[in-house]
Amino acid sequence: MTPTTPTAATLPFADLEQIYEALAITLDELPEVQERLFLAQLALALAHRIPDAALVREAIEEARRGVEETSPRE
Amino acid sequence: MRPAGRDEHDSLYFDYPCFPFVRPAELEGRALRHRVAIVGAGPVGVTAALELARHGIASVVLDDKDTVNDGSRAICLSRHSLEILQQLGVHQRFTRKALGWTRGRTYFRDREIYRFEMPHSEQERFLPMVNLQQQYIEQFLIDKAMDSPLIELRWKQAATGVSQDGSGVTLEVATPEGDYRLQADYLLAADGARSLVRKAFGLALHGEAYEGRYVIADVRLRSDFPTERRAFFSPSVMPESTLLVHKQPDDIWRIDYQLLPDEDPDKAVEEASIRERVGTIIAMLGEGDDWELEWWSLYKAYTLALDDYRHGRVLFIGDSAHLVPIFGVRGLNNGIADAANAAWKLAWVLNGRAPDRLLDSYSPERRGATLDVFANAGKSTRFMTPPSRGYRLMRDAALSLAVNNDYASGFADPRQVTPYTYAESPLTLADSDDFAEGPMPGAPLINRRLGEEDYLLDHLGTGFSLVLFSDDGTITPSLQAGLTSLQAREPDLEVLVIGREVSPGAFGSQLADTQGGIFDAYGASDGTAYLVRPDRHVAARWKALDTDALDGALSLAQGMVLEGDRS
Repeated sequence: MTPTTPTAATLPFADLEQIYEALAITLDELPEVQERLFLAQLALALAHRIPDAALVREAIEEARRGVEETSPRE
Repeated sequence: MRPAGRDEHDSLYFDYPCFPFVRPAELEGRALRHRVAIVGAGPVGVTAALELARHGIASVVLDDKDTVNDGSRAICLSRHSLEILQQLGVHQRFTRKALGWTRGRTYFRDREIYRFEMPHSEQERFLPMVNLQQQYIEQFLIDKAMDSPLIELRWKQAATGVSQDGSGVTLEVATPEGDYRLQADYLLAADGARSLVRKAFGLALHGEAYEGRYVIADVRLRSDFPTERRAFFSPSVMPESTLLVHKQPDDIWRIDYQLLPDEDPDKAVEEASIRERVGTIIAMLGEGDDWELEWWSLYKAYTLALDDYRHGRVLFIGDSAHLVPIFGVRGLNNGIADAANAAWKLAWVLNGRAPDRLLDSYSPERRGATLDVFANAGKSTRFMTPPSRGYRLMRDAALSLAVNNDYASGFADPRQVTPYTYAESPLTLADSDDFAEGPMPGAPLINRRLGEEDYLLDHLGTGFSLVLFSDDGTITPSLQAGLTSLQAREPDLEVLVIGREVSPGAFGSQLADTQGGIFDAYGASDGTAYLVRPDRHVAARWKALDTDALDGALSLAQGMVLEGDRS
């Protein structure tokens, strides 16, 4: 597994939980067809706020692996 | 519900007792005045009767049934509940029969993504959680109550009405041999989710009902899989659902699954539907097809509570006061804590040790615990059963990330019940000294192992306890004089002296802490003191004790001083 870069500060879990709730509510307010575009914009907006491209690439890889390893088995 | 051809009490593993109806004195025309009446002989009502008896208060317990619960229902008892049962002297039968556990596994789309381990150490007498069918829980408590000369259990006696005035409570009771009126000073309503007492007073539960319906089904199945909590999110056999699996004693397994949104609940609880679904799940678990269906039930998740758990001379305990979702096993465990809290306070009032207003603290303390449960249970329920597209997408995203990343696995944590801290209670004195460690005022004491089958909590008194830390096991003559005069007024105040060295013959019960482990766990130094309530919660603590401060905290914790009078 990919360890989080130890030097990087991360969001406390309690805050992450609040973001989870806020995202769920925001997604519910959007028409389903806009979901993908919204999430892609959000990824770019967050990446803009992270001054280290390597960290962003690491996050991209985390998400890609998660999708790959949990896609339903046929 | 049970399979066709078996009646409600025809179990594969449990012999239902039949408690006889005994004509009560009131039916013979005798006028009686009971101190406490308890409606409902379930686990909460009988726990309350046992706690009252521990403090010398007699009670009469009414139930419309003549046996225990029809099914396994609440199967998880927490460490905190076992510590309450220990105080009632009934824990041995529970720990002998129950299956203890510390671990759980979470699966997403058939892959194991996360294992959790509940906090546990050799300092604890009890495991963090044990599994035991509710029938056994009730039977063990009832057997203990039957041994008590202070508890009268009245079976097949249904409360049909209730009223109260300034001096007492009157119950209308129906029995197979006629109706009568029962008079009592106080009433504990332990009559469950459909409480008659609550309805008779026109009181309503407020809160939310969640989407989603669940089936709990018990099967008998021989399997070596260890006792762990297994949660399956989106399993391939039912991708839109969430599934929980628990092991119980007697080779009984609990299968708990969510119905799909378009599924008809009436159809889903037909025996054929249950057999088909449960068979598919057991095959997915890799357990073969040698299993028998025992019992099943349907439930919904609610977060509902009364606005006030006290109504004059009536205290609501357990499900009559609050309904919580079963994820996190908070229903029974909180009911047991309600019973212990209400009962010691009622005993203090009836023993003339505290004013009636001590009972006013029951609702803020235990309703506070319920609201805390609601905050956690809402999150658990939205995770277990996403109520909308947005919540489902976020849930699946968190589970997918959790496969490889610990930072996301917290979302899959089952958020099991933890004891509530009565920090805001009118009975609790907030810290004025700095403590780096130890249970804060309002929190339950923490246990420490002293030796073979010997733990700190075993040494508490029946009433309030004062835990004093001393380097050499002695206390100063002036403190000793103060405590002696306080004990003249509070004869059951137990003084426990924890010494780095013991001092035989010195004041109080002596406990040796030669390694200093208890000192460390309690953030204590020479002279530190903890004042502990009968329910093991900390009322106050000090780095250095003076008897005036102790006297004040004791008065506060017994409701003798109003909050506004606190200095």
